Amino acid sequence: MQRRVSIGLATILIVCALWYAATAMFGIIPPGRFPSPAETWSALVHVSGRGYGGGDLTMHVYNSLRLVVMGFLFAIATGVPLGLLMGWSRKAEAFINPIFLIIRPIPPLAWIPLAILWLGLGDAAKIMVIWFSAFVPSVINTFAGVRNIDRPVLEAAYMLGMPKIRFVSEVLIPGASPMIFTGLRLSLQASWTTLVAAELVGAFYGIGRVLNVAQQDLYPGMILVGMIAVAILGWGTTRVLGMAEARALRWNTAALAAKG
Amino acid sequence: MGVIQFKNVGKTFGPRDSGFVALKDIDLEIRDKEFVAIVGPSGCGKTTCLRMVAGFENATDGVVSVDGTPIKRPGPDRAVVFQQFALFPWKTVYDNIDLGLRNLNVSGSERSSRIEAILNLMNLTQYAKHFPHQLSGGMQQRVAIARAYVLDPDVLLMDEPFGALDAQTRVVMQEELVRLARKNPRTVLFITHAVEEAVYLADRVAIMTRAPGRIKEVLDVASIRNAEDWDSHEKIEDVMDLESFVHLRTHIWRSLREEKAAQHA
Amino acid sequence: MNRQISFTQSILLGFLGLACFLGFWQGMSMSGLVSEIFLPSPVEVYERFMTLLDRRFAGATLPGHLAASFQRFAYGFLLAAAIGIPLGLLMGWYQLLDEIVSPLFDALRFVAPIAWVPFAALWFGTGIGGPIMIIFAGAFPPCVINAYRGAKFVDPRLIEAANMLGTPSRRVIMEVLLPSSVPSIISGLRVSAGLGWQSLVGAELIVASAGVGYMMVQGQANIQTHTVMAGMVAIGLVGLALDSALRGLERYIQKRRGLDH
Repeated sequence: MQRRVSIGLATILIVCALWYAATAMFGIIPPGRFPSPAETWSALVHVSGRGYGGGDLTMHVYNSLRLVVMGFLFAIATGVPLGLLMGWSRKAEAFINPIFLIIRPIPPLAWIPLAILWLGLGDAAKIMVIWFSAFVPSVINTFAGVRNIDRPVLEAAYMLGMPKIRFVSEVLIPGASPMIFTGLRLSLQASWTTLVAAELVGAFYGIGRVLNVAQQDLYPGMILVGMIAVAILGWGTTRVLGMAEARALRWNTAALAAKG
Repeated sequence: MGVIQFKNVGKTFGPRDSGFVALKDIDLEIRDKEFVAIVGPSGCGKTTCLRMVAGFENATDGVVSVDGTPIKRPGPDRAVVFQQFALFPWKTVYDNIDLGLRNLNVSGSERSSRIEAILNLMNLTQYAKHFPHQLSGGMQQRVAIARAYVLDPDVLLMDEPFGALDAQTRVVMQEELVRLARKNPRTVLFITHAVEEAVYLADRVAIMTRAPGRIKEVLDVASIRNAEDWDSHEKIEDVMDLESFVHLRTHIWRSLREEKAAQHA
Repeated sequence: MNRQISFTQSILLGFLGLACFLGFWQGMSMSGLVSEIFLPSPVEVYERFMTLLDRRFAGATLPGHLAASFQRFAYGFLLAAAIGIPLGLLMGWYQLLDEIVSPLFDALRFVAPIAWVPFAALWFGTGIGGPIMIIFAGAFPPCVINAYRGAKFVDPRLIEAANMLGTPSRRVIMEVLLPSSVPSIISGLRVSAGLGWQSLVGAELIVASAGVGYMMVQGQANIQTHTVMAGMVAIGLVGLALDSALRGLERYIQKRRGLDH
């Protein structure tokens, strides 16, 4: 582990040095193509201080984060129950699955024009497409999670004579939760991709808006700042989800460790 | 009370006229507090018998009843111990045992005292806060037995409960079950393919045949056990050395082998 | 699990589900609750789809747009596979390479592929180069990750068995490591085709002057909801075809190895 970390750090340092050398020292990469570290820094100062593309960095980050969290939570709140229902009832599965088969191949990004037509360039359209992109993986993985619960475990639950609500909250949901979390991780990734795309297509604020304006202004430093912001936000939200997962699945990590 | 009754029970999987006949004309009565083991080759339908009492399967012919009431669905009055333990991996040992009591709306203080008692009886007290996967197979099966026993069920159904354990653990568990069953008698239906296990544990042993599954013979072990005073021996190997035990075991082996031979002929 | 249902019952329920879905949609658009401009009926979308098959919109017919999109997709996807799979395999086999590349790769992974759009446009223009780069950005990570997993998690007993038989290391790579990572590689290709196709749509929505995504943006700008929906249908169909082709390949390989059941 020690070795891995030090090699990793060394690599990142070397890449940064190469970046500096290629842009600022020797000018191998022309300034209009990729920013030097100094240009990136000044773009960061620019967007954090005076603001860029209609607001300062905090405002853009806040709005992007807000939309992703809202769309994502909305998707969980609708997708997980639907997945549970489909997993539990063969009838519900037979009824809903064909609709899914039709809608599923359409990538979430393809809903963006329709969302803009329906809801305009504001928040509502973005929440709709984020909801949609996060909804599908939530449903599918929850469904698979329910179906993956060991049959004897379900029979043990019947044998113990569970009331319905307790059966859902203490057997179905925890039993499906490893897969549910897999779905949520995919959902979260899809949410960010979709949000950035939607903001690139048209928005009044947000990180995608910064990227869009920077592209039009041919401002490489600001493009890089925007990309780094997207990466950090994606990483941070994934971390939060990972922590929630580790907490919720303590019993499962023990199980995985026991299996080796 | 806990009297299990099979009356002309048959089970066909698939269409009635062309499906697979798993069980035919099963007639068996298990008396209150009696321990009956069913032995037979794999695929003879012995597990299906148990699953019908549990309420997981319905008989296609005849009636399976407990205390005269035909069985419709699973319930905590007929506790099951599964071969694969079937503990809830997301619940601690304590919560696994607690769940059935909560479903029966037992009051909080009574629940905790009953759980303490069973944990103590099964030597599980120190593992109360563990998750199932942190325990060995034998320990997990102890928890499953505790989960069933704590409900104080009329009927206890055990489906090859020691089949997934290694030989040494198995012996320990068998001895423990005998201790538990003598101290705390229940009506038990025990499924196994291990002949020694059946003879050691049961009051009566039913021998099943295959395709279609029928009961070939029912042996009374209890009278021999009492006459020869098996229970005075503490260790399983001492019991298994007794002439009466060997005799019974050989009888069952022969009966099962005749069955095999008949099939090959 | 809940009670099993018969095959006919499930087919009937499936059709009922579809009928409800389409009926609700048709009903909404016919009832006038929602303006038809914004919610054309399924029938209208179907008609528009058929019309677009041979009438030009935004510079080309629907097949023309699809061809432009697909060409970009093919380049981007093949490039991602050609670079990603060998890279992943090498990372799986050589620990040092793994340790060098992994941190960079992990850092880049959190950049949503679509966020490459500005640089892609800046470096390669909005014609064919830019979109290819974005498809590459979408399709590359799954290629690497799955090839890596396939190479890293080979059953060590297989390698031991090969060593015990005195196999030279070149042959171990060609005859043990490579074949045992094939299933993982193929499933990576499936994921990456899906992501690549989706990134293409995104790229075309933002930059590009041809392709299905472009057609949809034009439809949106002209408030032609039925054109947008026809575009979604076309994208869905192509995505489905791609996926089933790769799934077929997966199955074919499993079958050849006698792993089908």
